[in-house]
Amino acid sequence: MMGRKQMGGHLLALCLLAVLGLWSWQAGHARTQLRVGTFVGSAWGVPNSEGHAVLEKAIESFEAEHPDVDVTYVSGIRYEEYPEWLAEQILAGTEPDVFLVPEYDFEAYAAMGAVRNLSDLTARDQGFDEAGFYAAALAYGRKDGSLYALPVECAPTLMFVNKTLLKREGIEMPGDDWTWQDFYNICAKVTKDGDGDGVLDQFGMYDYDWQLAVTTNGGGLFNASTRTSYFASPHVEQGVQFVMQLRKLQHGHEVTAREADQGKVAFRPFTFAQYRTYKPYPWRIKKFAGSEWDCVRLPAGPNGRNISPVSTLLLGMSSRTTETGLAWQLMKKITIDPEVQGAVLEKSQGLPVRREVVLKAARDKWGWGGAESVDLEAISRIMDEAVCQPQFRDQRAVITMAENAIQEIYAGKKPLSMGLHKLQKEVNAYLQR
Amino acid sequence: MEIDFYLLLSKFRAKSLAVRLHQLLWLYNGLVLVLFSGFYYVTQHKIIEAMSAHSFLQALPVLPLPAVEVLALSWLSFGVLFICGRIYHRQDLTLGTRYLALLGETIACIVAMRSLSLAYDGLVLLVVADLMHRYDGKNTGGLLLGAMLVLFFLADYNSLSFQRGVEPFDAYTAYYKDSVRGVLVAVKRGLSSVNVVLFALYLVTLVQNKHQEKERIQSLNEQLESANEQLRIYAAEAERTAEMRERNRLAREIHDTLGHTLTGLAAGMDACMVLIEVAPQKAREQLEKLRDVAKHGLKDVRRSVKKLRPDDLERLPLREAITHMVKEYAETTAMEVKLEVEGWPEAMRQDVEEVIYRIVQEGLTNANRHGHATKAVVNFRLEEGRLKIRIVDNGQGCKETVPGFGLRHMRERLDLLRGSLACHSENGFALEAVIPVGQGAKEETHD
Repeated sequence: MMGRKQMGGHLLALCLLAVLGLWSWQAGHARTQLRVGTFVGSAWGVPNSEGHAVLEKAIESFEAEHPDVDVTYVSGIRYEEYPEWLAEQILAGTEPDVFLVPEYDFEAYAAMGAVRNLSDLTARDQGFDEAGFYAAALAYGRKDGSLYALPVECAPTLMFVNKTLLKREGIEMPGDDWTWQDFYNICAKVTKDGDGDGVLDQFGMYDYDWQLAVTTNGGGLFNASTRTSYFASPHVEQGVQFVMQLRKLQHGHEVTAREADQGKVAFRPFTFAQYRTYKPYPWRIKKFAGSEWDCVRLPAGPNGRNISPVSTLLLGMSSRTTETGLAWQLMKKITIDPEVQGAVLEKSQGLPVRREVVLKAARDKWGWGGAESVDLEAISRIMDEAVCQPQFRDQRAVITMAENAIQEIYAGKKPLSMGLHKLQKEVNAYLQR
Repeated sequence: MEIDFYLLLSKFRAKSLAVRLHQLLWLYNGLVLVLFSGFYYVTQHKIIEAMSAHSFLQALPVLPLPAVEVLALSWLSFGVLFICGRIYHRQDLTLGTRYLALLGETIACIVAMRSLSLAYDGLVLLVVADLMHRYDGKNTGGLLLGAMLVLFFLADYNSLSFQRGVEPFDAYTAYYKDSVRGVLVAVKRGLSSVNVVLFALYLVTLVQNKHQEKERIQSLNEQLESANEQLRIYAAEAERTAEMRERNRLAREIHDTLGHTLTGLAAGMDACMVLIEVAPQKAREQLEKLRDVAKHGLKDVRRSVKKLRPDDLERLPLREAITHMVKEYAETTAMEVKLEVEGWPEAMRQDVEEVIYRIVQEGLTNANRHGHATKAVVNFRLEEGRLKIRIVDNGQGCKETVPGFGLRHMRERLDLLRGSLACHSENGFALEAVIPVGQGAKEETHD
């Protein structure tokens, strides 16, 4: 009996040794694999034909520096499918070593520890230059003061101005320090019935919503750490009221995207990605027939400044990766390397997250080929002042709630102040549940 | 296989109820662990297949372990838990090793519970049951309490640290339809409850066992007490018996020594009275011999008083003492006595020697006094570890043997040695005594 037990024990030990030996032999001989999670298409809802061009460039450069490392990625996952794909990989424990983190999932993944806290790596890495990033873009990768992800590209929201329309109306391009009042005045001036059929056919703005108004009126909507909202605060009330006034100019007409594309609107907020996509040839022709567009800062509210919200594409590291060092090198390659970040400007729709890269392009008078050029220096300044609006787990649900409530306020079903108070109460209850 | 099963079953049945329950508790928890890990495994796969991983993860406060890791980690840690439990129960361990095993058990328990997202905390009870099983009352109480507190604190702390969001188990069940979810939750609660019931049952049995043991010890104590009392009575009785026996022995002794000598003297004196006229010289010689006998008798009495042991036997080995006694007797009584030794035991106890000496002495005395014999033969023979002593005389014998004081005493002495005595009265008197002398007897030729 004892003999059999002992023999069993020896056999088990032998098997373990064999497995260990095989494993270490393999580990010693196999090339290191580094996997990246990415998607095709744009995070900002604009067409993109370049596929994985930026990542390809980063991989090429990285593999040249690390000849014994193979960097792979699953290609062809669309942006819309990516969050589910990533969640499945995380659930199954097979997520890539380095992956793009969907903006809305970042907080959850950082909280549950799917994305690695990078604090120790940044502290150890002497060459890591945090200040080189636009602060707002980098702030998206933070949670509770710790850095969990690095920005890859970003897109500030800018105000598009229909230069053709303003010129026709004899109005000057607004300056970078214009206010809500200026904005309202121009809107009031351009809103008219041009052909005299009794229906308005020229409008002040399209798609300018209360969130932009609140942002430019010096306040946020949420306190992520206490999980409370500020819907009843004065800057929100002013913002909503301002949008109501703008809407009132349109006499109940909902401006459509088509009308905006036809050049019947003076102002429409655009992300940099949209600007960058539609500005160059041939998109410009297709999208805005016959109108000249340019961008300025968003108008400042009475309590705020001319700042832009920015949205950022984040790159995180799996907390379960075995190749932390290499993964960190790869992350830096993608987010910091000037060549790769330069490719963001060339091949993608976002703005590079490294200030020096943007400024260098500005010095080089970078443009989208031909005569079209863009004032990157101004955009860089916007980025320096841009605000980070951290996303959290229930944000989308809460914004939907708010959107519904504010639509009711617009429609006059609820009084402004009371409606916002009620909204705040509901949202807080939802967040605290 | 069937035989093995029955063997196991019979082995299982042979154990005490507490041990059986303890094993059942292990088996049950192992099964529950397999069930839970299986549930996690299957549900994770279903979630991924249904492409609802994103919404599932959104509801979770912590990163769930991948399904394969749940299986591997939970089973592995349960294995470690089991092995540590076995080690902990071994008797031949030092205190340090036992504490180490206990520590291992605690850690394995926590890892196993953690791998199941703390959905099942029955394993804590398992560890506590293990502790109780080994509980011997000696400073284990504090240890038990400490281990229990640590385990429950860790379990609770872990669940508290989730703070918000859903417990992973609920998140997993949320994947299923409402009806199925209800069943799952009920099953989960049921599994926990059954475990608690088993644990309680085990504790009760354990307490019962201790109680029974206490009762058993108490009844044993009572038995011991009564046995002691009886022993005391026996001792008193034995003392009385010994006293009586000693008295009897003394009486025997007086009879044997004084009686023998006085009989010899009387017979000698009778002869002297006859001789004194016919052959005064011869009578004188006879009287001298009689004096020697009287002196010898006196010495015997002194010795009897002092040590109650024949002087000859005291000075000489048995065989020499008997030879001397026979020779002396023949001389004093003018009886022809022949000593035949066909076998002689190598070694004998002192009391046996004494008895043999006395039997010969008594036999000769009887032959002279009652049989009025002129010839006597004393024969020693060994037969299968028994010494046979035959004393045959040519005296009158008797139709019916009426055991006198001498014969009775002889029998009593022999009885004490598990020997026997037989008398025949044909052409004289024959006395046959058989005494077991044990090993070491050897054959010897005629003397």
